[in-house]
Formats: sequence, C-alpha cells, structure tokens
Amino acid sequence: MELSLIELEGIYTAYEGDDKPIIKDLHLSVDRGEYVVIGGPNSAGKTTLLESINGMVRITHGNARVCGLDVRSCGAEVRKKVGYVIQNFYFDPFTPFTVEQVVMMGHYGRIGLLRRPSEADRAAARRAMGLVGIEGLAGKAIGTLSGGQQQKAMIAHNIAKGPEIMLLDEPFSNLDFRAREDLQGVLLDLARCGIPIVMVSHAFDGLPDIGIRLVVMNSGRITYDTKCKAGDVECILRQECVVG
Amino acid sequence: MLEPLIQNNVVCHAVEAMVFASIACSILGVIISRMNLSSIGITMSHAAFAGAAIGMYQGVSSQIAAILFSVGVAAIIGPVSDKAKMAADATLGVLFAMSMAVAIFLISYMEYMGKGLSASSLLFGDVVSLYREEIYALAAVSAVTVLFVMAFYKEISAIMFNMKIAEASGMQVRVVYYILLFIIALSVALSLNILGGLLIFVWLVTPAAIAGQFCFNVKSMFIVAPLVALSTSAFGVWAGFEYTLPIAPLVALILTGTFGISVLFSFKRRISAKMH
Repeated sequence: MELSLIELEGIYTAYEGDDKPIIKDLHLSVDRGEYVVIGGPNSAGKTTLLESINGMVRITHGNARVCGLDVRSCGAEVRKKVGYVIQNFYFDPFTPFTVEQVVMMGHYGRIGLLRRPSEADRAAARRAMGLVGIEGLAGKAIGTLSGGQQQKAMIAHNIAKGPEIMLLDEPFSNLDFRAREDLQGVLLDLARCGIPIVMVSHAFDGLPDIGIRLVVMNSGRITYDTKCKAGDVECILRQECVVG
Repeated sequence: MLEPLIQNNVVCHAVEAMVFASIACSILGVIISRMNLSSIGITMSHAAFAGAAIGMYQGVSSQIAAILFSVGVAAIIGPVSDKAKMAADATLGVLFAMSMAVAIFLISYMEYMGKGLSASSLLFGDVVSLYREEIYALAAVSAVTVLFVMAFYKEISAIMFNMKIAEASGMQVRVVYYILLFIIALSVALSLNILGGLLIFVWLVTPAAIAGQFCFNVKSMFIVAPLVALSTSAFGVWAGFEYTLPIAPLVALILTGTFGISVLFSFKRRISAKMH
C-alpha cells in the first residue's frame, strides 16, 4: 500500500519562543490527488497547520512525515517539495523584481546553494507562468501588477518548483470571480496529476465539482473531517464552526 | 594602490579609504534597505563605536575591539529575534541602545578620569590619519562583500524579495542571513574610523535609496548604488582637501542632496504613480 504524502500523528506545534501549543494532538493523512479544504473560525490554527506541514513552524511532539521525509529533522528538504502560497502578501511598486524573476525564485531551493539557474529551470518558470496565464506579464515589475495578478504570480512561483504537494492559504482572497475560476481550473489539473491540494479558504464559490475533503478546525484541533460535494462545503462549515 | 595616480600620500589614502568603504557599505545597503532592516546599519555602527570605546579604555587596538564587538552583536541579532519572538527591528533597537550606553559611559568616564579621549574621529570620521593596514583591511572586506553578493546572488535576491517566501521555497535563508550580518559587522567596524559611527548610516542607506529611484531590477541597483557612492565620495574628498572641509560629513551632505534631487527626477516614481 502506498504511503500518504502527508502523515501527521498526534502533533503539537508552537512558534519559536512560545511554549503554548497552537495545534494540539492533531492527526491528518492526505493521499495523492486529494482536494482538501480546511475551514474553521479565526485563530483555529489553520495557517499554523499548513506551516507545520512544510516545517516552518516547530513541531514539539508527535510524528510528521511529508513526502516520505521527517518534517522535524528535514524541514528545508520538505519545503523544496511542497508548494506554499502564503496569505496576505503585498509587493510595493518599488519592488525591484520582474514577474519572471519571482516565478523563478520558486525553483531556487531545489537548485541549491552556489548554483545558477539552468535553461531547464527557466523553461520550468515559463511553463508555470503559462499554466496560470501570466506569460504576457513576465517582464513586468511584480509591484506594478494588480493584487490578483500578484496572486497568480505567487501560484506560478510555487508551480515552478514542481511541487509534490500544494498548500494554499486564502488563495482566492484577491481574485475576482473569473480569476477564481481560472485558478480553480489550474488547481484541479494539479490534483488530477496526483498533487494533493490543501487549501485554507473562506471563499467556496467555484470549488471544483469533484469529491472535496472538508477538514474543520477549532481551537487547534480537527473537529470534523468528511468527503462532501463542493456545494455542501459552506453549509457544513457553518454548522461545524458553531458546534466546535 | 592609487599612488601612481595621486602623488600626495594623504590624499591618496583618503581616496582609497573612501572608495573601499563606499563599495562595501553601498552594496550592503542595497540588501538591508530592501529588507527594511536599515536599523541593522545604525545598530552595527553604534556597536562598532562601543567596541572602539572599550578598546581605548582597555588600551588595546580600537579597530580590533570594534570588529569584535560588532561581530558579537551580529552573532546575537538573529538568534535573539528568533528565540525572543521579537521583530528583528525591536532586537536591533535594544542592542543599539545598549551599545550607545556603553560607548557614552566609557567616553564620559575616561574624560572624567582625565584620560583625554577624543571621540570625534569615531563619531564623525577621519580620512586624514589612516594607516596603510587599515586601507588593506577595508579593501579585503570590500572584495569579500562583492564576492558574497556574486556567490549568493540567487539567495540574496530571494531574501530581499521576501524572507518568508524564500524560506518556504526550501532555501537556506538563515545561513545567508547570518553571513550577511557578519559581513555588515566587519564592513562597519572597518569603516568606522573613516566614515564615523554617526555618519556611516548615510553610506548604508542613501546610495541604495538613490539607486531605488531609478532602477527597476535589483541587479542594476547593485551597480548603480556603489557608482553613486564612489562618485560622490571621490568628489567629496577632492572638495574637502581643496577647500579644507571635513570630508566624511561633506560627502554625507552631498549624498543626502543627491537623494533629494533623485526623488525630484525619479522616472520610476512617476511611472509607478501613473500605474496606481
């Protein structure tokens, strides 16, 4: 039997310099191609869960294996294999990087220290830009793009590294309806290629009509975990957040 | 090094010192200003100042003491902000205040004891009374700075873009960040006698800010900022000797004036304003 790509067993996590756990005794396993939506009230630990999966937050207890690697001892290696679109970024108009450079940076971890990007790396960046439909913006300064275009650039940045898992934190927050649909299409394609999508979101319109796995978090714990239709996500979440 | 071009030894040393200090500080300035860590410059310069004061008090080389103290501060900036769960700027503020207190305490105490310490060269710079070894050390640290940026350009540019996003990509951001702090400490400590503890901040911030008004990509910023610092420093040295003016403060004023003019004529600012 194939092992799950994400395997969390009873993990507790805390930020550096803080002993109080944010996530408590959490169990979660995610298989290839799954489309997971994480919901829950504010301060439920949703972002912390994503950052525990890629090793950016310290796991104090429990076992965490991602892409077959122990997250506690191989955090940087895990992050090379896991795409992570962070929440609430803003690039000012004076940011001196083009879209192509930013997308390319997604690949830098895999290239390694003291090595220069090859033509194959550049081609991967161009492909990623093509996938999210921003190839025409390659030479533009990232800070001069709209919020939605910046969001797409960050998704391309993560696709460029050839992720085995895709984590997204509120990926639709800056996007209009059309852009959301485009992006959902891209994520669906990734899921169909076997890359699990794990997404924290409060925007549920336009979720793909495949089996969605809804994970509800309350106070650092998973309180509900079910497979459901895209149209039922919001309704279930309303009930479970109140109960939780 | 420049003796074949400049006959007068004092002027030659002043030009060489200014050239190397400008290269190192302005290149590092591009990185720290983009990372919103300008307070690193001010903290390091005051740490070097405190170290120099300790050296004078102990009767040992003020430059070596400045290097040791600022490298020590560099070594604790990163871990303290990680462990204390504080923003790097808050950590820098605490270290800055501590360094300043140490320096003022020792200088006041030595004056009180009649040791006759003059701190003006440490505060405002002195390009006239330099030893050849000091210039060689500064040349070495400038070369190290250039090599560091060339070798780790990929990592540095990603950190300058966004440290969290760089870390999420699986890059060794902390290693590069700590090396950066170490090189800043070395550069600042070695430039202290030349640019002065209070003025060095101008070299760390202003050339990068001027380059930022015109450059759309980071590569050109790494070229324009040192060129601006070099040309204004060379002009300042010439004007200082020609009209008998204090050189480091004069260059600092020229750089600040140049920044004002660059803001007025910044086409990048105009293009950005049009787009928003």
